[in-house]
Amino acid sequence: METDNFEKQLADMTKPDVKGLKHEDMLATAIINARDKSVVSWWWISVPVFIILMLIMKSTFMPGTTLISAMHELESSQKYLSLIFFLISPIIMIIINAMTVRKIHFLSGSPKSINFLETIWFNVLVIALSVLILIIYSL
Amino acid sequence: MKLPWFKRNGIFFIPTAIPGWIILLAGFVFAIYSFIDIDSRSHSASDTLINFVFMLLIIGAVYSLIAYVTSRVIKK
Repeated sequence: METDNFEKQLADMTKPDVKGLKHEDMLATAIINARDKSVVSWWWISVPVFIILMLIMKSTFMPGTTLISAMHELESSQKYLSLIFFLISPIIMIIINAMTVRKIHFLSGSPKSINFLETIWFNVLVIALSVLILIIYSL
Repeated sequence: MKLPWFKRNGIFFIPTAIPGWIILLAGFVFAIYSFIDIDSRSHSASDTLINFVFMLLIIGAVYSLIAYVTSRVIKK
């Protein structure tokens, strides 16, 4: 009698209805977050990039001025502003974007394909620009 | 207030709620005020434009940061 009940219970059991894998949702959310973060990073990195472009223009049109000397001049006249935009901001951008890239790389199963690079190219660009800004600032 | 206030479209955050529109309007008003202020102190058109673009980028950076934070949907 009990065996019959058990067999009936087994027959009634169905597989859980899973429409999508949770892992896929996590990866999709991580990619959307990465794009959002890279856009915010892009806005913040555009300020020092604009300043550097203006300093390059200044060094081109003013004889006897170089990018490095113009940068030192800016550093001495605007100490806190240059510290925020040329040191603190790029470091934060590098950390945030590197962590985002690492998370997507981990969630997507550590791929080595070009598709992965297509997904995170904007984050990589922001990291590269941040490193460039830090190098110029440290000269 | 109920989030999200913004949704991202390309490199811009578009308001989707009234608080978002208020923030965008405040950004515009501050940008216009900055332009008038910079223009009154500058010596040439290029001087005005260079300083105004710099200010516009700072406004954009602060706006995008606020929009990013308020475009999140908090999961309970």
